[in-house]
Amino acid sequence: MVEGSIVTIGVVFGAMFLGLILGVPIAIGQVYGKPFLRKIIAVYVWFFRGIPLLVLLFLFYFGFLPLLGLNLPAFTVASIVLGLISSAYQSQIFRGAILSLPEGQLKAARALGMSDFSAICNIILPQALRLSIPGWSNEYSIILKDSAVTYALGVPEIMARTHFVATRTYEHLILYATAGLLYLILTFAGTKALRILEEKVRIPGYATR
Amino acid sequence: MTNRDPILKIENISKKYGSKEILRSISLEIKKGETKVLIGPSGAGKSTLLQCINFLVMPDTGKVYLDGRCINSRKKKELYTYRQQVGMIFQDFNLFDHLTALENVSIGLIRVKKIKRSEANERAMQELKRVGLEEHANKYPAQLSGGQKQRVSIARALAMDPKVMLLDEPTSALDPELVGEVLNVIRNLVESGMTMLMATHQINFAAAVADEIIFMENGTIIEHGPPQEILFKPKNSRTKSFCSKINEIYGDMLT
Ligand SMILES: Nc1ncnc2c1ncn2[C@@H]1O[C@H](COP(=O)(O)OP(=O)(O)OP(=O)(O)O)[C@@H](O)[C@H]1O
Ligand SMILES: [Mg+2]
Repeated sequence: MVEGSIVTIGVVFGAMFLGLILGVPIAIGQVYGKPFLRKIIAVYVWFFRGIPLLVLLFLFYFGFLPLLGLNLPAFTVASIVLGLISSAYQSQIFRGAILSLPEGQLKAARALGMSDFSAICNIILPQALRLSIPGWSNEYSIILKDSAVTYALGVPEIMARTHFVATRTYEHLILYATAGLLYLILTFAGTKALRILEEKVRIPGYATR
Repeated sequence: MTNRDPILKIENISKKYGSKEILRSISLEIKKGETKVLIGPSGAGKSTLLQCINFLVMPDTGKVYLDGRCINSRKKKELYTYRQQVGMIFQDFNLFDHLTALENVSIGLIRVKKIKRSEANERAMQELKRVGLEEHANKYPAQLSGGQKQRVSIARALAMDPKVMLLDEPTSALDPELVGEVLNVIRNLVESGMTMLMATHQINFAAAVADEIIFMENGTIIEHGPPQEILFKPKNSRTKSFCSKINEIYGDMLT
């Protein structure tokens, strides 16, 4: 089950990371992009937020990927699918953070002669990402729990290992209680780490919320 | 180019929001070293005009000339180069909240002018000194008073070596006791020969530093001329009533 925890952590980190690197540009596109781009993004977000995780996992693992001739391991597919879903949610966290910044920040950057790209990289993102950490913490705990569903693909994560042992030993109560406890510990560790990060990058002069 | 040629000239700038006309064909020009002050009631279009001048708000029609060159705002490169040469001071400062005072001043040098960080910081420090804030260089905006923030924003604009500065009510968001320190900095700029267009409600300050006062209402320039003329013997009845109202509020002058 400890090995299962490592797999779970791997899936969750992979998903969070993919969600981050896709979510940031998606959010920027949605806030600053042309109407056409915004429409495409809206459809993307709708798609990944609207379909249940289990359906998406099967759709990708047994549907899309084999159709494309790709035969990826369950672990990878689980990380990618969770990551794509997370990118939809994370993009909305970042979008909210960007929109919460005063309009004057971008204006002041432009007034200095900065290009929009430079203003977004140097002025908007550093502030928006800081504001996103609490939302990110929330997203982490959701993905962590969602990762249990990837058991259905046979990813050897906490849930799969627990089930495997339980069918042999019949110690259901103790085993599933342990699994629950592992998730609780991982949630605590992750949110705590993000809390520390939040404190570390806090802009002096602002109170912590 | 001679001293007689305007450094900044705008021609027939108009702007509508929806069907509402905010600016109606505004034209004006400023020569090197001149200070012109925009006055007028709230909603007259002063902020919109200033922001149209450096295309933070895109005017619907009209032309802007810097040093005799018409600016094509559709060409990004040209627009960015132009904006570097036009300093902008906002009513609510708009300092970058995640950067220290020093970084606020140096970021334009580093990211826009591509100057080396060490040189940029040195220059930024000089500008902070000029506005009397060298001791606060490492503080973040949230740790500064309003007056200090506005002075940092002036230093940020000055670091770019602007040819013209646009100031939009630089003291309106300040507590009364902090207005003086910012006006002092601006007065020093006037004396050092900076070219400026400033919107303000500080009539007495305007009278003291302006070469010309421009009175705006409903998106048009109603009257303009030397301070003595506009403030003491305005020809237009609207200018007259505005000046006497302002005088009631801000009290101490025009007597
Ligand atoms: N983004 C916008 N959309 C719609 N209307 C706007 C917008 N910005 C400004 N306006 C309108 O334009 C008019 C002029 O506004 P502006 O801010 O330029 O006036 P001002 O002279 O600077 O006033 P104040 O002294 O209050 O700063 C106002 O009626 C305002 O409501
Ligand atoms: Mg205004």
